[in-house]
Amino acid sequence: MIFQMIKKQYLQFLRNPVEIVLLIGLPIILITILGNALGNLIDGGEIDLTFKLAIIEHEDEEIQVENFLTELENGDLPDEIIAAFAAVTDSLAPVEMFKEVLRSEELNDMIIVEEAHAREMDAIKADDSYAAILEFPENFSADLLENILLDEKMNPEAIIHYKAGSEIAGNIVEQIVAMYQEEFTLGTFLGNNGIDPQQLQQKGAEITQEVSSVSPHEPLSAKAYYTIGMIVMNVLFMATTIAQYAFRERQSHIFNRMIIADFSRWVYFIGILLTALIFAWIQAILVFIFAYFAFDVTWPDLTAFLVITFFFTLAVGGLAVLLTAISFRSNSEQIISFFSGVVVTIFAFLGGSFFPSGTGSFLGKLGDYTPNGAAMSAYLSILRGESITDNADHLIFIACFAIGAIIIGVISYPKRGAAS
Amino acid sequence: MLELIDITKKYKQTKAVKNMNMYIEKGEIVGLLGPNGAGKSTAISILSSLLEPTSGDVKFRNKSMIKNPKSLRQIIGIVPQEIALYEDLSAEENMKFFGRIYRLKGEKLKNKISEVLEQIGLADRRKDVVKTFSGGMKRRLNIGVAMLHDPEILIMDEPTVGIDPQSRNYILQTVKRLNKERQMTVLYTSHYMEEVEYLCDRIYIMDKGNLIASGTKDEIKQILASENTIYLKADYWNESFITKLQEKPQIHQMKVEGNEIVLVVSKDVAIFSKLAHLAEETSVQLRAVDVKQVTLEDVFLHLTGRALRD
Ligand SMILES: Nc1ncnc2c1ncn2[C@@H]1O[C@H](COP(=O)(O)OP(=O)(O)OP(=O)(O)O)[C@@H](O)[C@H]1O
Ligand SMILES: [Mg+2]
Repeated sequence: MIFQMIKKQYLQFLRNPVEIVLLIGLPIILITILGNALGNLIDGGEIDLTFKLAIIEHEDEEIQVENFLTELENGDLPDEIIAAFAAVTDSLAPVEMFKEVLRSEELNDMIIVEEAHAREMDAIKADDSYAAILEFPENFSADLLENILLDEKMNPEAIIHYKAGSEIAGNIVEQIVAMYQEEFTLGTFLGNNGIDPQQLQQKGAEITQEVSSVSPHEPLSAKAYYTIGMIVMNVLFMATTIAQYAFRERQSHIFNRMIIADFSRWVYFIGILLTALIFAWIQAILVFIFAYFAFDVTWPDLTAFLVITFFFTLAVGGLAVLLTAISFRSNSEQIISFFSGVVVTIFAFLGGSFFPSGTGSFLGKLGDYTPNGAAMSAYLSILRGESITDNADHLIFIACFAIGAIIIGVISYPKRGAAS
Repeated sequence: MLELIDITKKYKQTKAVKNMNMYIEKGEIVGLLGPNGAGKSTAISILSSLLEPTSGDVKFRNKSMIKNPKSLRQIIGIVPQEIALYEDLSAEENMKFFGRIYRLKGEKLKNKISEVLEQIGLADRRKDVVKTFSGGMKRRLNIGVAMLHDPEILIMDEPTVGIDPQSRNYILQTVKRLNKERQMTVLYTSHYMEEVEYLCDRIYIMDKGNLIASGTKDEIKQILASENTIYLKADYWNESFITKLQEKPQIHQMKVEGNEIVLVVSKDVAIFSKLAHLAEETSVQLRAVDVKQVTLEDVFLHLTGRALRD
């Protein structure tokens, strides 16, 4: 009986090539487009995040530090404090130290630092090979030292110029500056309190490590990312497609024939569930196979991959049951078109199909509470070489979603088919 | 064998069926007649266990079918008013699917499909997708699908709507043959009087949710036994002729249709001379005066004051 339902759906797909193109061709097209267009955003290694940063100092730092010390001597501070400061002059060069951080091993494959003169500002702004400009205004170092060591109010700011289209580079520089500033302040403070100035250097190294983890450093290609993103999104359309076929089946009174044949509603539900599951599975696998050959998306752990696919398509089956039941009850297709038109997009957005929302972020967490988002997280984690057990929480969520959808579907199912 | 007992069905605003009683005996062809919206489809949906009535009972072999319609479902075949077929499947694939849901299989199903396709005259189109069928062919397949499991009772909801006269005759003859050869019981719903007159032994007439008449063809026509239907023809009518006709107490019903007037009059009144007289008086040139056999159409007109297909 259930086999008949699956078979008739297969025949219907076979005779509607447009439907097949939408379900299988569309994700392939989207993967290609998004993988190429947005690749730069997420590819750590291959397509590069390497960018050129120009640093412009308006005043020589050494002179500033000297001036600062002279000012101190002329001031009314006790002599021993002045002597202590003079002793650590070397570590009192914040800009120089910052440049060293940038040139450190961790950052130098990402950022190419070029020092430039203030005169060249306009030329650099016009030069597209620079992604960002970091500008230290006049008297920056002296002001910073005064601010830190003498608690003077003045808080000088380095200016970061973003280039259009290089917001990410600008962002990274900004984060490095912010982190460095914090650490420098702390380091100077420690040195000030008689702690080995060597500490400062070590701090610097630590900063750079943290900075490098800010950059997206996943061994994932953009095409792999979007293969998963588009598959988990587009497979949701299988649920709406199957629900739509079921609704039309009822509209055309075919469903009444089934009732008269004493076709139990449980059998019907299981039929819908399995039909959606099987075709969603075929849809996903076909696109994955395509991605394997075309984009070289390979799975380190095939069993884990198949398990995730099974769970996800089970959730799709549950969704199909739910949508079918609600459309039968409300006697309208609205819920189905609302789901395929609006909900899928929201789910895809939250689930990270369009861009990585970051695992720690609020959006990322929310996304894990959509079936597609949870499946996507699980797939990504497997691709990165993690194991299926690391993804138990995602799988449990997906299973709960599937069961919940089926139960709500069964509850909201109308008692007897309307005749009209 | 199968009865509706005091059935009422309310939709939100409308009462589609009101206190309806009806029965079908084995081997009968019963007609259910009524204009659009009369409640025919609602009544047969209840009869076939698709729809629960608001009140009343459905009995099959004296057992209520409201809660447990299983025994009924096994022996009825339904021809819905709509084409209830998969348009993307071929005739044969449709039959296979519906045959399988009736748990037929293997050789038996195969033979049955061939037999039914032969009966409905679609054997040579069995491999074609339903989408490519004409309206009449779809109708025939719609009927064929309902006969795969050899139902004892076939319930047909306006099976001939919108098809050419040939297909229509073919369907009517098939129904009659099935009834004769296999004693198949048929409930035939229509708003075509001729069909029901041709096919049915007993007839129910519905209007606006009410059963307004029931009985054998002759019994129903007896309703008009004391009356005659007279057709008048002229090139044109004038105002005063019509007004004066309406004033005559012997004329119970009258309907003007272009250059024809249909009158229902008491039988033993010497109406002809009066009509001739009136025509002369108002200078209307009568072309023809005709007295017709009573038809179900007349009965309907008599009972409701409306023609069936108004
Ligand atoms: N599902 C429904 N919801 C609300 N009203 C309905 C529904 N189905 C039928 N009706 C109403 O019930 C009445 C009877 O409808 P029904 O379909 O039984 O008439 P019918 O005699 O079969 O007409 P037709 O010859 O047009 O098929 C109509 O007024 C119709 O509008
Ligand atoms: Mg009807």
